[in-house]
Amino acid sequence: MDKPTNIRNMSVIAHVDHGKSTLTDSLVSKAGIIAASKIGESRFMDTRDDEKDRGITIKSTAISMYFEIDEGDLPFIKQTTNGNKFLINLIDSPGHLDFSSEVTAALRVTDGALVVVDCIEGVCVQTETVLRQALTERIKPVLVINKVDRALLELQMDKESLYESLLRCVESVNVVISTYHDAALGDVQVYPDRGSVAFSSGLHGWGFTLRQFAKRYAKKFGANEDKMMTKLWGDNFYNPETKKWATSPVDSAGKTLERAFNKYVLDPIYMIFNAVMNTNRDAITVILDKLDIKLSESDLNLVGKPLLKVVMRKFLPAGDSLLEMIVINLPSPATAQRYRVETLYEGPMDDESAVGIQACDPKGPLVVYVSKMVPTSEKGRFYAFGRVFSGTVKSSGSTKVRIQGPNYVPGRKEDLFLANVQRTVLMMGRYVEAIEDCPAGNIIGLVGVDQFLLKSGTITSAETAHNIRVMKFSVAPVLQVAVEVKNPADLPKLVEGLKRLSKSDPALQTWMNDTGQHIVAGAGEMHLEVSMKDLEEEHAGVPLKISQPVVPYRETVRVESSIVALSKSQNKHNRLYVKATPLGEELTDAIEDGKFNIRDEAKIRARALADQYGWDITDARKIWSFGPDMSGANILVDATKGVQYMNEIRDSCSGAFQWATKAGVICEEAMRGVRVNILDVTLHSDAIHRGGGQIMPTMRRATYAACLLANPTLQEPIYLVEIQAPEHAIGRVYNCLHQHRAQIFSDEKRVGTPMFTIKAYLPVAESFGFNAQLRFQTAGQAFPQCVFDHWQIVDGSPLERGSKLEALVTKIRIQKGLKPEIPPLETYLDKL
Amino acid sequence: MPSSAEHTTSFAASGEDALTRPLEIRDAELAAAAARPGGDFATFYEIERTARELVAGRYRRIALQFPDELLCNSVPVFRALTQRIAELCAEEIISRSIIPSDDGNPQGSGLQQGAPVAADEGAPELYVLADTSYGSCCVDEVAAQHANADALVHYGHACMTLTSRLPVIYVFGRKEIDVPHCVAALLGAYDAETEDGGTGTYSETQAILLTHDAAYTHAADALLSALRATLAIRSSQLAVLYEKIGTSSRPAEELSKLTTQAPSTDVPAQKTAIFYVGGESLGLTNLLMTNAGCEVYTVDPHTGVAVRASARTNRLLMRRYAAVQKARDADVFGILVGTLGVAAYLPLIAHLRRALAARRKKSYTISVGRLAPAKLANFLEIECFVLVACPENSLVDDKEFLRPIVTPFELEVALQSEPRWEGTYVLDFTQLLADAQQSPPLPSGATTEEEAGADISRGDDSEQPAFSLVTGTYRHTKTFGRAERDGRGREGAEPASAVVLRNQDGALAVMEDSAAGRFLAQRTYQGLELRLGADAPGVLEQGRSGIARGYQDDRAHQDML
Repeated sequence: MDKPTNIRNMSVIAHVDHGKSTLTDSLVSKAGIIAASKIGESRFMDTRDDEKDRGITIKSTAISMYFEIDEGDLPFIKQTTNGNKFLINLIDSPGHLDFSSEVTAALRVTDGALVVVDCIEGVCVQTETVLRQALTERIKPVLVINKVDRALLELQMDKESLYESLLRCVESVNVVISTYHDAALGDVQVYPDRGSVAFSSGLHGWGFTLRQFAKRYAKKFGANEDKMMTKLWGDNFYNPETKKWATSPVDSAGKTLERAFNKYVLDPIYMIFNAVMNTNRDAITVILDKLDIKLSESDLNLVGKPLLKVVMRKFLPAGDSLLEMIVINLPSPATAQRYRVETLYEGPMDDESAVGIQACDPKGPLVVYVSKMVPTSEKGRFYAFGRVFSGTVKSSGSTKVRIQGPNYVPGRKEDLFLANVQRTVLMMGRYVEAIEDCPAGNIIGLVGVDQFLLKSGTITSAETAHNIRVMKFSVAPVLQVAVEVKNPADLPKLVEGLKRLSKSDPALQTWMNDTGQHIVAGAGEMHLEVSMKDLEEEHAGVPLKISQPVVPYRETVRVESSIVALSKSQNKHNRLYVKATPLGEELTDAIEDGKFNIRDEAKIRARALADQYGWDITDARKIWSFGPDMSGANILVDATKGVQYMNEIRDSCSGAFQWATKAGVICEEAMRGVRVNILDVTLHSDAIHRGGGQIMPTMRRATYAACLLANPTLQEPIYLVEIQAPEHAIGRVYNCLHQHRAQIFSDEKRVGTPMFTIKAYLPVAESFGFNAQLRFQTAGQAFPQCVFDHWQIVDGSPLERGSKLEALVTKIRIQKGLKPEIPPLETYLDKL
Repeated sequence: MPSSAEHTTSFAASGEDALTRPLEIRDAELAAAAARPGGDFATFYEIERTARELVAGRYRRIALQFPDELLCNSVPVFRALTQRIAELCAEEIISRSIIPSDDGNPQGSGLQQGAPVAADEGAPELYVLADTSYGSCCVDEVAAQHANADALVHYGHACMTLTSRLPVIYVFGRKEIDVPHCVAALLGAYDAETEDGGTGTYSETQAILLTHDAAYTHAADALLSALRATLAIRSSQLAVLYEKIGTSSRPAEELSKLTTQAPSTDVPAQKTAIFYVGGESLGLTNLLMTNAGCEVYTVDPHTGVAVRASARTNRLLMRRYAAVQKARDADVFGILVGTLGVAAYLPLIAHLRRALAARRKKSYTISVGRLAPAKLANFLEIECFVLVACPENSLVDDKEFLRPIVTPFELEVALQSEPRWEGTYVLDFTQLLADAQQSPPLPSGATTEEEAGADISRGDDSEQPAFSLVTGTYRHTKTFGRAERDGRGREGAEPASAVVLRNQDGALAVMEDSAAGRFLAQRTYQGLELRLGADAPGVLEQGRSGIARGYQDDRAHQDML
C-alpha cells in the first residue's frame, strides 16, 4: 500500500440484479477471504440482514485485497508499476436506483469501475446512470458481461447468436461511454479484443477475458498475446485449411468458416456444458484431460450444475481473470489523480495541496476526502470512509488535522474543526483491520472525526487547502414522510436517531417544517422504507408514527408579470417596482447542476449567461442573489438604472428573496425557475427609514405580488420509470401505467429475448403503491425502476376557481395549517 | 414647483387618514353589549361595586383603563363613577357637604386628566387611560404612574396577571349567557367523547374543572351550581372544581403565589376534564397549551356550540416545538420587553440574560412596544427573539416575522442540552422563575456538550458542531463571551472573526466576540464607501419632490415603467 502505482481502487457498478455482489464474491474468494465453494451464495459484501433478506445491496461495502499478477503479464500494464504485487481496494455498490447515492460515494474514492451488465437484459437505466456518473467523475470503466450461463442454459442460444448478444452489450455500453466522453480521460470505450471486457457467470464463479484464451492459443498460432486477442473477437475467421485468417465468413472456396470467437472461445465452453448437462461421463473425462483440469474424487462424483460449476471454475476461474483485467486496465491512483485533480479540487491547481493530489505524494500535505459514514459496532459512532488523495494519515498522531465541512470557505472559521485522527482502519467487508498509517492513494476508514462531519467532508493539513468538490448525486429526495414518536418522552431518542440516520445515508435529508414535524426525504419508496426501518430499529430504537409519503412541489411562473408589481414599505417611504419572469428550463437545470452559483466570478458568469442564455449583459452583471439558500434556481436581478443607495438595500433584498423563494406565495413550497427583476426603487433619503425592517417585508411582498401577476403554477416531480416485462404482460403494464397518469415514450423489444423495455414518465405523486400494483397485475413479471427525472408544470392555474390545481393547492395549504385560499393579490400589491 | 394648495390637500388627507384609520376591535361582542341602551349601563360597568371598593380603599388618585373597544364609553363611565363616588363619600362623611363637579373634558386619547372631583381632599380624582402600549388585557402601570395613581380600574377582558405596584379593580363587563344551555351543551360534548371515544382515558376522568372567559364572571356561580346540579341528577361521581376569578387584586408581594393556575387538588391533572365557557380567544389557546394533558371542552355562549378543543392542542404544541428548535439553532437573541406591568418581569429578564450568557449566547434587550415585523426586521443580526409579555400576548405565531419569537419557557427548553418536550407548557412568569430556582442553577461554561466528556476526548479548542433539527445538518455554533470554566477566562482563544475589517482602507478593528461585528463582516454593504474617481460624473437632474405618500413624479414614473 506504500506504492501508489500498485494500488487499484475500483468500484463495482451495475443495474440492480445484474450480479454485482455475486461476482464480487469471486474476487473476494480469490483473495482467500471466503471459500471458493461459497461463491455466488454468501454475498460477502452484503453486510446487513435486510440486504440478505431482500437479496439486494443497500449500502456500498469496501474491501481491500492483495493480488499477485504473473510476472509475464507485467508488460501488458501500460502504466508504471513496481513489482507484481498489487493492492486492490474494491467497493461493491447497490444497483437499486433508490440507492444511487451510495454509488456516487463509492465512485468518488475510486479510479476505476467494473461495470457489470446482464448479457440478457443488456444495458438498463441504472447501468446508464452509474456509467454517466463514473465518467463525469473521470473514472475509467471496464466491462463484465455477466450471467453468460443463463444464455446457455435457459435460452439455449447457439454460438453465433450468443456472440451477437455479447457484441450488442459491448456496443451499447460504448454508446453510453461515447455520449459522456471526457477528453481528459482519453479513449475509455471497452474492447474485448484489448482485454477490457470480461465474460462471466458470477453465480457459477467462472469468467474470462480474451486474454486467457489468447494465452492458450498464442503458441499454437505463433502469434503474441495481444495479436491473438484481436483475432479472437469481431469478424475474424480462421481457415484451418489455408491456415490463414480471413475477415469474411466465406472463404474463397465458398466454404463457411466459423468465427474465431465461436470456435476457440465458445466451443470449449459449449462442449463442457453439453457434456456435463447431458451427464456424458466419457466426454467429460476427455475434455478435462484436454483442458488439463484436475478434479478431486468427490467433485468428480457430482452431477449436473454442481459439477458444471466445479469444472468451469477450474477451467476459467473468475477471480483470476477479473483481477487480472482490473490490474492491467484500470489506472493506479498515481495515474488517475493526475487527470482527476482538476475535477476534484476546488482550489487553484498550483497550490501545495493540488500538487500533492496530482502527484499522489505520500509526503505531500494531507488531503483526504470522506465520502460517507459507515456505522461501527458501537452505536452512534461511525467510521469516516474516504480516500487519501495526498499525504499520509497517521493514526493516533499528536498532530491535529483540519476537518473541513462542505460549507468551509478557506480563511474562515465556519465549518472548520481541528481534531486528532484516533485510528485508521482498512475496511474489509463486514470487518475492519486497524493499520498504523495510510499513505496517499488508499481507501480507508478514520476513527474520531465522525462527530465533526455529517455526511462528507475534506480533511487536510495545509491551512491554504480548499475543499474537495462536493459530490453531486443523481437522485433527488423527492419523497417525504413525517416522523413522530408515539411516546413524547422518546423525543430525544428520535432526535439522536435522525442525526444518525442522516449521517449513515449520503442522500437522505431530514429537517423540520414549521408545523413541528420531522420530515425525512428520500429518493423513492424503497429508500424510505429501508431508512424508516433503520430509524425505528437501529438509530432511534423507539416506536414511531410514520405518515404517508408526501411529494414536494415547486412554485414557478409561466410568463412575465402582466404589470409591474409595486409594494410600499410599512412607513410608505420606500417603494419597490418588481417583475417576475420564468428563468427557462435549461437555465434552471444548469443552476441546479451547479453550473452557476453566487460564488462564481461575476464577470465570467455574466458572459456565460449572455452567450448561452441570451441574457442582457448588464442585467447578468447585476445578479444579486440566488435563492433559496443562496443556491437555488431562482435569481434576483437588480435591473434598476442609476438609482441611489441600491448597494445599501442589497442585503435586505437578497435576504427577503431567500425568504420568499423558500416559501412561495401559492402554498409555501419552494420556488423554482423564477427570475425576479427589481425594475426601480424609490427610497427615503434618510438611511434610518430604508433599513432592513422596512425593505425586507416589502421585498418579500413585492416578490409575491410579481409572482401572482405572472401566471403562477406548480411543478411536480416526475420519475423516469423503466419496466422490463415479457411480451404477454405488456398490455397489463400499459394499463397500469395509464392508471397512474404515466406518459410512455419508449417501448422496445430486446433483440434475442422475449423481454420488452418500456420507458415512461410517472408523476412521483402517483408512484405510491405503483410497484406493488404493477407486480400484482403482472403476477410479478414486470419490474419497475424509478429515478427522479425532472420537474413538470402541473396543468391549470391555481388562481382559477374550481380547477384541479386549485384543489391540490388547497389540500397542501390545509395540510400545512395555512388558510385554504391563496392570499389575494391586494395583500401584496400596493397602489400609488 | 407644485402649488401650495396641492400641498395642503396632501397633508390634510394624510392626517385624516391617521384619524379615520379603523381600529381593530377585537371584542366586538363586548362592545355591542356595552352599547346596549338603558339602565344596563350601570350594571355592565359595575359602577356601584367599583365605587364602593374605591371609596373603601380610600384611594386618592384613580386611573380608569379602557380597551379600544370600550373607549367610547369612557366619558359616561367617568361621569357615573364620579357621581357615585361622590354620593358614597357624602354618605360616609355626613358632616361635610360635598358637591361633585364633573366639568372634565374627556376627549382625546391617551392619558386624560379628569377635573378634580372636588376641591376638597375627601373626594378622589379619576383619570381615563386609553389602551396600553402592549395589550389591553394587561394593566398598564406605567401609564397609571404618569397620573401618579394609587389604584386602577381595568375595564374589559383581562389576563389577570399579577401586577407589581398597583392594586387593581377589574370590571370584565357582562356578556349574555344562557346558563342551562351551556351546561347541557358542554355535558353533551363530554358524553359524546366519553361514550364513542371509549378509549378508556376519558372514563378515568375524576373531576371537572370549570373555567370561563372573564366576561362571564357574573354568571360563574350560576354555571357552577347548574353544573353541579346536573351532575347530581345523573348521580355522577365527578367532582366539580372551580376557582373564582377575582375582581380585584393586590400587587404581588411574594412570588410563590400563583394566579390563574388550576387550583391544586388531589386529582392528578390527567384525570381532570376542563370545561371552558367562552369563545375563541388567546386565553383559550393558552388554556389548551398549558393543560395539554387534560381534555378540554369549550362552549361558546354566543353560538351555543360545544366542542372538544383538545384535538388541536397537539398541533399547537408541535408548532411551538418547531419554534423551540429554531431557538436552539440561534446564537444571538433579542429579549423583547413586551410588558411593563406584569409582576416579576424584571427578575425574569435578568434570569434570561444570565441563562443566555451561561450558554455563551449573545443577548440584546429591546423594547419596541407593540410588535411589528418591520420593527423586528431592523435587528437583522438577531436570530431569535424571546418575548417577555403577559401570558395572553406571549404566543406570537406569525409568518410575517422574519425570525422566530419564543416564550421564556421555550427558551429554557431550547437551552437545555437534551431536547425535552413532554407536553407541559408554562406561560406564567412566576411559575417559570420558581421552576428555574428549584432546578439546579445552570452550570457555568459551555455545558452544551454534556455528552462530549462521556464518550470521547474531544478537541479542547474546537467545539463539536451541533446537529440542527431544523435543517438536518451540522451547524457551527458561534459563541460569545468567555467560558467561565474555573473562573478563568481563556485568552487568545477568540475566533478569527473577532477581527473585523472595518473600512475600505483596510484598517482593522478588534471587536471582542462582537455579534454585531460578525454580522457586519457578512454584509456586502458596510457603510459609507468613498468611491473617489470610481464613478463617472453624473449630470445634475431635477430630484423628486412632494411627500412620501405620493411624490410629484410618481405618476409619470409609473407610466414610464
